[in-house]
Amino acid sequence: MRVILVDDSRAMRMILRRIVGQLGFEIMEAEDGQAALEAVTNSENVPDLALIDWNMPRMNGLELVCALRDDPRTRDMTLVMVTTEGEQSQIVRALAAGAHEYVIKPFTSDSMVEKLALLGLVPNEAENAQTGA
Amino acid sequence: MTLQTAPTIEDLGEIAEQVWSSYLDPEGVNPLLPFEPGDSEKTRTRGESICASVSITGAWHGHVVVSCSALAGRHAAAALLAMEVPEVAQQDVVDALGELANIVGGNVKSTLPAVCMISLPHVISGVGVDSHWPAATQVCELVGEWLNEPVSISVWQSRSDRAEAAS
Repeated sequence: MRVILVDDSRAMRMILRRIVGQLGFEIMEAEDGQAALEAVTNSENVPDLALIDWNMPRMNGLELVCALRDDPRTRDMTLVMVTTEGEQSQIVRALAAGAHEYVIKPFTSDSMVEKLALLGLVPNEAENAQTGA
Repeated sequence: MTLQTAPTIEDLGEIAEQVWSSYLDPEGVNPLLPFEPGDSEKTRTRGESICASVSITGAWHGHVVVSCSALAGRHAAAALLAMEVPEVAQQDVVDALGELANIVGGNVKSTLPAVCMISLPHVISGVGVDSHWPAATQVCELVGEWLNEPVSISVWQSRSDRAEAAS
């Protein structure tokens, strides 16, 4: 499984990297929506999952979700918004645009793994290792 | 339309607790220790400090500011980037504090009436950089110590916004 982490903060990408790395994902990173779109469309292997911040320079997360949904090569990717935009109206906008799930910062490692497990993206043994079950 | 609603120090305390437990102190051994309002002066940074802010516009206008000593900034960057403090570079501190301001600001925005927008973070460092919002008034501040270093989270509302709300 491949994931692309899209956030203008290196610190947040590092936090996400620690979580998905433990789940066995192959990881790509991009520091804004435009860079992510270029990386994904130029990649031979389109990632299975994108974790996408909302507020970024050049192209924001919502625009990236729309662009990925519009492209036949990337429209089957699982898209998760990971953002501080916690208002109901923003969540509805993101889901309507094509995001599958929505994670509000700050989040714990366990809560992120739980969200990914709900999307069927976490092998059971990895989930159990994360949660200590 | 301008609304009078503003976040409270209790709101800031809840947000800070979530941020610390998620990223800066996941083991629960070094929490942010808030001071009583009367004690806030002793947390003022005397030397170099770092100050990260986001601006909020829309139904409410103002800024959310996270400031701390340079050493606390290095500790925050080390925690977020999984590094040792001596390895932390200034750019790491700028990135980490910017993200903390983004997270705190986004959660403050959630306490405000819709519709508000949040800016990308702005980070400055130096001596005496924590009080330079001449067109805004501080409406609440959470001050405390983290790892024996001063930390402040504050919300500033535009003066014209407040004047309009009062009229």
